[in-house]
Amino acid sequence: MSRPGSAGSVGMAAVSLALVGGVLAVQLANGGGSFEPLRTADPCLVREVTSQSDGIDGLTERLVLIGVDEAACELGVSREALTLELGQGGERTDEEIEALHHGLTAAVGRMEDDGSLPPASELVDEALDNADLNRFLVIAIRALPDDVVDAALKTDDVLVRAIDDLDLREILADLDDQESLNAQVEAAVTQAVKDSLRDRLTDLL
Amino acid sequence: MRRVVGPLLAVTVALVLADSAVVTLALPDILQQLDASVTQVAWVLISFNLVLGLFAVPTAMGLVRAQPRVFAAVGIAVFAGASAWCAGAGSIDVLIAARCVQAIGGALALVGCLELMVADWGERRGVTAWVAAGVVGTAAGPVAGGLLTEAFSWEAIFVVQVPFAVLAVPAALAVRTVPDLTPDRHRPALRPNLTLALLSAALTAALFLLVLLLVEGWSRSPATAALTVSVVPVAALASRPVARLLRPSPEVEVAVGCFLVAGGLAGLALPPSAHLAWTVAPQALVGLGLGLTVDRLTAQAMELRLPRARHAGWTIGARHLGVVVGLVILTPVFTADLRDAEVPAQEAITALVIDAPLKAEDKIALAKGLGEELTQQEGQIPDLHRAFAALDLDAEDRAAAAELERDLDSQLERAATRAFRDSFLIGAGLALVALLTVVAPRRRRVP
Repeated sequence: MSRPGSAGSVGMAAVSLALVGGVLAVQLANGGGSFEPLRTADPCLVREVTSQSDGIDGLTERLVLIGVDEAACELGVSREALTLELGQGGERTDEEIEALHHGLTAAVGRMEDDGSLPPASELVDEALDNADLNRFLVIAIRALPDDVVDAALKTDDVLVRAIDDLDLREILADLDDQESLNAQVEAAVTQAVKDSLRDRLTDLL
Repeated sequence: MRRVVGPLLAVTVALVLADSAVVTLALPDILQQLDASVTQVAWVLISFNLVLGLFAVPTAMGLVRAQPRVFAAVGIAVFAGASAWCAGAGSIDVLIAARCVQAIGGALALVGCLELMVADWGERRGVTAWVAAGVVGTAAGPVAGGLLTEAFSWEAIFVVQVPFAVLAVPAALAVRTVPDLTPDRHRPALRPNLTLALLSAALTAALFLLVLLLVEGWSRSPATAALTVSVVPVAALASRPVARLLRPSPEVEVAVGCFLVAGGLAGLALPPSAHLAWTVAPQALVGLGLGLTVDRLTAQAMELRLPRARHAGWTIGARHLGVVVGLVILTPVFTADLRDAEVPAQEAITALVIDAPLKAEDKIALAKGLGEELTQQEGQIPDLHRAFAALDLDAEDRAAAAELERDLDSQLERAATRAFRDSFLIGAGLALVALLTVVAPRRRRVP
């Protein structure tokens, strides 16, 4: 048996350096150190918003997503942090309510500007299906040509009026109550349609 | 009977030292079944190592007053009884108390078995076998514990120890020895014991944290985790041929071992994904380091020092108090990091759900389910599958939902991996401090 030698010691140290260096290099080269949760995006940067739903549902989803982005930007938090915060229910601050109101209104403007806001005639049928209106009135409205509907009702105007009518504080206090949410939105939209029509008639007269 | 005495005693030594980390893979089950907190289950490990570390030297001192075979037999019997008590524990407090008694029996058994193995096999072979049994037990403990938990239950870990220990009692009584009355001639070997303590603290990260990451963070079964961490004992066994081939000096061998452990733990802190393959090479480094250091340091701490049992007691104390130091440092760090990881994980999940190609009503239903899972997590990794299972999806949306579930699970894995990173790096730092104790210049003796 030979005695332990310096050559063996140097060799052992060199092998260990190579092994550790090699393993760490391979780990880092393959993304080691960056295997972390997804980072939230800056809500102030415009991002493309899409929806798998059609009609009013799709429009509402896109409107809310852009609105939350705008509100988060105003509040200086991420879209995700604001969504989680709002999802908890309970009493909301004046700042949050105001930011959401601004955000939703800004969302209508952005969608109008980029042409993604559908004309009112595209939404009328679905709205009438869900509305609790007299059957003859529904038939009469359906009989109106699209041009007349679009001339009488501007989608952006109706949406902005509906957003102004909505009691965001009450809606956010109990997001789990879907029936109450639908009822409030429906009432606000119906009122917005009436107000819009009345103002248009007033203008015409 | 004579032939099996030595092996039975060696198995007992391995069993006692395996108990240091044997329950690691069972901790999630214990946590759930005994309704305990993460800190409480950490005490299932801490209590055993603390009591064993504190009792090792006083126990070795008491050996001069008793017949080693009686000493060892009583220790093994207490260890066996306490193991059975652990298996029947109905609460976390009882389990921790039983673990303390198990450690006291273990301390008696370890020092007693050393004397008996030397009496049976001779000084050199007996000490070597005692040291080797300890290394094998330490390295293989988590593997054995994981397999038993998966195949049966966490209680099985303690149940299987009982028959081995019961057989070892007559084996211990069969060895004829006399009390070692050698006066206390040598001071404890400070440097190897200190290195051993620091290295044990570092190895805690590999033996304790890695299995928690695999089971809790990456949602692998205890059996899969056990097979994965078996890389450590296999590499530890492979280290001996490597050392024989290169024949470095003992100091270099230990220094290299410390460096390999540090490198392996740094590698475990930086996996590129949650694929098990990424843990293999870092674990191999840890295993090689373990194999090069623990038995060499134990031998250095005991070499030519009398009385033998007392110096063996110092090595046991250094190792297990080192494990306690490791657990005490790492447990609060990783539990705090795990809590801190909740917000980024929740935000990542929210982002993916918002942007998922699903219908608005499905997203809302999913968000509600996920919200419930996330609020119930209480410091643990949530199970998101329940929220997906409760969805009533159209056929064309199922593929998108399945992909979203995979993405969300990946975010949880990423968050857990990130939460464990600092603890692995602290472990690597402890191994580097151990390396410093090896390479630090020795104080010159004044002639």
